[in-house]
Amino acid sequence: MRRIQRILHVAGNDLRLMVGDKVFFFWTLAFPILFIFLFGLLYKAGDNAPAVAEMTVVNLDQGRWGSYFIKKIEAPGIAVTVTDKEPAEYVRMIILPADFSAQIEARRGQALAFKKRSGASTSAAARVETRLYQAIARTISELVLYGPGDLTKFLDGHPAFRELVVVKGEFPPKTVTVVPSGFDHVIPGTTIQFIMMMVLIYGGIGVMEDRKKGILGRLLFSPLSTGELFQAKLLGRWGLGLLQALMLFTVGKIFFRLNLGSVPLALLVIAVFSLAMAALSVFIGSLCTKEDVIVGLSVLLANIFAALGGCWWPNEIVPQAVRVVARISPAYWAMDALHKLTFFQGKFADIALPVGVLAALAAVLTAVAGRSFRIRD
Amino acid sequence: MLEIKNLTKSYGDVVALDRFSLDLKKGEVLGLLGPNGAGKTTLISILAGTLRDFTGTVTFEGRNLFSDRTLKNRIGIVPQDMAFYDDLNAMDNLLFWGGLYDVPRADLKRRAVEILDLVELAGRAKEPVKNFSGGMKRRLNTAIGLLHKPDLLLLDEPTVGIDVQAKVSILDIIRNVGAAGTAVIFTTHQLAEVETTCSRIAIMDHGRILAQGTFDELIRIVGERDIVEIAGDFAAGAFSEALRDMAGADVELLSVADNLASLAVSDSGRIPRVMDRLFQNKLAVTDLKIQTPGLETVFLKLTGRSLRD
Ligand SMILES: Nc1ncnc2c1ncn2[C@@H]1O[C@H](COP(=O)(O)OP(=O)(O)O)[C@@H](O)[C@H]1O
Ligand SMILES: [Mg+2]
Repeated sequence: MRRIQRILHVAGNDLRLMVGDKVFFFWTLAFPILFIFLFGLLYKAGDNAPAVAEMTVVNLDQGRWGSYFIKKIEAPGIAVTVTDKEPAEYVRMIILPADFSAQIEARRGQALAFKKRSGASTSAAARVETRLYQAIARTISELVLYGPGDLTKFLDGHPAFRELVVVKGEFPPKTVTVVPSGFDHVIPGTTIQFIMMMVLIYGGIGVMEDRKKGILGRLLFSPLSTGELFQAKLLGRWGLGLLQALMLFTVGKIFFRLNLGSVPLALLVIAVFSLAMAALSVFIGSLCTKEDVIVGLSVLLANIFAALGGCWWPNEIVPQAVRVVARISPAYWAMDALHKLTFFQGKFADIALPVGVLAALAAVLTAVAGRSFRIRD
Repeated sequence: MLEIKNLTKSYGDVVALDRFSLDLKKGEVLGLLGPNGAGKTTLISILAGTLRDFTGTVTFEGRNLFSDRTLKNRIGIVPQDMAFYDDLNAMDNLLFWGGLYDVPRADLKRRAVEILDLVELAGRAKEPVKNFSGGMKRRLNTAIGLLHKPDLLLLDEPTVGIDVQAKVSILDIIRNVGAAGTAVIFTTHQLAEVETTCSRIAIMDHGRILAQGTFDELIRIVGERDIVEIAGDFAAGAFSEALRDMAGADVELLSVADNLASLAVSDSGRIPRVMDRLFQNKLAVTDLKIQTPGLETVFLKLTGRSLRD
């Protein structure tokens, strides 16, 4: 019991010293919020699978098949706008040329222009394309079956023939259909980056300075053991990581309508990730003897890990080869888990792998930090 | 209360403590006097439990000092470094450091107020320690070691680098703590401090105690002789050679270096003859001091070198 009290006493004091630093809230709150704003504007929420996919049809057709074809495109979930001029702005557009009906009646093939605005939702496009193929296939098959008569009337009398052709859209495996974006991506990304930076800088410098000033040695004059001291150092830094996340998540919830998917699972990811960073910070503090070196190393590591790990841009959009390399970054696993929770309706089983990787990393780093921990230079 | 037997500690080839033995009784204030590198800090670190890989035994009230970590509740240690948090104020530092010991929370607060008063920092209790002067920091450093009312207090050079006034106040604290029944060991390389503060003095060098006793007992080692310090422009070898046939019981060469030598003479009538001999040998003497013996002389005799070296 006294043992736990002593550990908490030392860890709590460390946390108080770090939070008490003059510039603490600038670095952990003001600065990351600026980051969140900038990146949030840069990656504003994309229309991931909007409820209604927009489709503009420019109908220049002189005959009757153009409007027949347009009827075939209409479906729930697709908002069809018909015009007779090519508009300046559109999400996606198909042009039915003036000789559309003439070509059909002459039984000649023809090419239709289908255009997409860059950045339009991939899965909405898929929905529209599927519908287009279906419309083409139905029109052709109905022409084959019933000839050139008035097909509209014929189908009224034979509703069973309406769903004559069904086209099913499917993405090839590994196709990215949802790209995490907006504040729901930027806030966790910034949080992960700042946990790394703050825990490594504050945590590393604290260990180094306390050792140099003889504070670590003096702590051991008391009944505190070296093992307890090490645990206290880990705990204080772990607390700093949690605090950093809680601050940014709270700001996110209040001001940016942050959606984390499952809050308890997101906190689990943060907790395991922070523990790994806490151990790394004790290791860096034990290794280095100069403040400048610790700051430089921490900023370098935090930014490389953040960039590679998908804190700045979502890893879902980088080339496959880069995604593989990115796995060396602890941030990759944290972001992977957080994205699964927010954007892919992940449950515990879905994040078990990344959380397991982070837990293993935390265990290894704790062992390494424990071995290198020393109380004097 | 404390028994140290044959403590030996080496750093590679350097023997920092060499079969060091010492006994300490309750309420005794022992001054451990030794030049830089004598092994004082090494001894304190071993007793503090932060230095390992030594041989020898240390018992505290008959128990192995290192067998039971709760014994640390009864020992207070004031390290040579100012090891505390500059960003916290004096009160918060005391509460933090005291909180590591098995002292009830309520007592701790009361005790911290008392101690701040004792070290004359009560008025500055809420000020960040980084604004403190060197002397105030030393007093806080000492206060931290006293907070949990130890039965044994170890201080490593508690008066280094501070002004005379602060020094006097720290020595006062040490005396008072001893008078209240706490056994104290404090190390120093300053003679005046041990003369006035300690009930017992131990002189150490090269990791071992050369002599110990009360001030008077130690002075008797050099005897009732005058100490002559001669400065000039001469080589050590030439000086010894010039006085070679005079050296004996009456004139003892305590230390001879280039340009500075010390002798002990049992009869001050001998001094003119020593000077004659030096002039005959054409050794240039620029200064001559005659003193009654002090600890400095004892140290010189025991180690062959001055404490100030
Ligand atoms: N960590 C160390 N590594 C190597 N040598 C050391 C170390 N600490 C002390 N020494 C050596 O041990 C001897 C005793 O040192 P120390 O106990 O610090 O003496 P004091 O405190 O009396 O000045 C010195 O020769 C010193 O150089
Ligand atoms: Mg020393």
